[in-house]
Amino acid sequence: MAHKKANRLSWWMGGILMSLLLLLTISTFGADRPIGASTYVPYISGLIFNLDPEHYTYLKSINNAGAWEGVMLIGVLFGGFITSVFITKTFRFSLVPSGWKKYKNNSVLSRLSWSFFAGFIMIIGARLAGGCTSGHFLSGMSQLAMSAMVFGGVVMATLLITGKFFYNTKGS
Amino acid sequence: MNEVIFKTDGEGILSRFYQMIESVIEQGHGSVALVFLIGVIFGGIVQYARVDKFEKIAGFAMLKDTIVPKMLFLAVGLSSIAIYFMVEAGVTNLHVKPIILPGLIIGGILFGASMAILGKCPGTGPVSMAEGRIDVMVGAIGGLLGGLVFTLFYDDVFQPLQGESLGTTILPNIFEGNEEMSVLIFGAVVVLIAILIPKLEMEDELEDKDALR
Repeated sequence: MAHKKANRLSWWMGGILMSLLLLLTISTFGADRPIGASTYVPYISGLIFNLDPEHYTYLKSINNAGAWEGVMLIGVLFGGFITSVFITKTFRFSLVPSGWKKYKNNSVLSRLSWSFFAGFIMIIGARLAGGCTSGHFLSGMSQLAMSAMVFGGVVMATLLITGKFFYNTKGS
Repeated sequence: MNEVIFKTDGEGILSRFYQMIESVIEQGHGSVALVFLIGVIFGGIVQYARVDKFEKIAGFAMLKDTIVPKMLFLAVGLSSIAIYFMVEAGVTNLHVKPIILPGLIIGGILFGASMAILGKCPGTGPVSMAEGRIDVMVGAIGGLLGGLVFTLFYDDVFQPLQGESLGTTILPNIFEGNEEMSVLIFGAVVVLIAILIPKLEMEDELEDKDALR
């Protein structure tokens, strides 16, 4: 099964570029703040459901960070779209990832319900911890923050345990 | 300059959108163009490295793909050394999140489990949406509702659950007198881990078939 690999960056080139982007962002020449990618979610919930930040302690506390990440998110969507169409040529509409078909099931309903449920839990978890893979793992650990190391350790362990028991990885 | 055309006090999603842009202009963490560009590059790197894929993230949870931890650990190892010396040189400031143990542990458990199931995180999810993954769009609707619930029950449930902050300690604080050495060792060990993790890849038959055409 020697398939030709899709056009993509190697892991080390991706890691170096991501590091350079973080350094640019956090430096005083850039944005003087780390990269984060989960505060925008409750911020956009506030926009969609028209919640007044003055009436909600949480929305008020994330007003600046949420707006910053909201603008970054528009860039992420744009950059992801352009790259998928013109560089990797991987843009396609799909409902069930092939890895889910192979290690879980073929059901569209199952994939969509689990996605909805996991998305819901993920944001509650990220906001409880005060960060996600970008804010804690990438930005936090790069600043040697102990909070990020606690979060990173717990996430890594739970991720692997869930992966082991949620999917049928044996006998394939 | 604070009475720009974006100044809107209205409600509704469009004026809230203008308020978002206005907030970025006023908070002094880079221009709107720069923040947008940071997003474009972030999305571009993630998409080009294909680490937003289910097969990469859930694949790592199944220990059948190790591209994500290799790339992430390399980025962290390199950045940790660079950021420490950038602080010394006065060209950056630290923005360290507090150690809120119950929040970090409960949040980490919820986050890790959902990341294994969704096969995305909040940074890689939007990239997947941008490349047409409808299941991730459904996940995002779940996420937006999660954000709503968190906001609505923050005072009564979630903030008490997070617990007290134990401060914003960073690793070099623990090794007083050997700060620089502790940073160099941490960075070198993390880079070494990135290199030593065996390279495993879960094939995505659909994408590889596309690449053959």
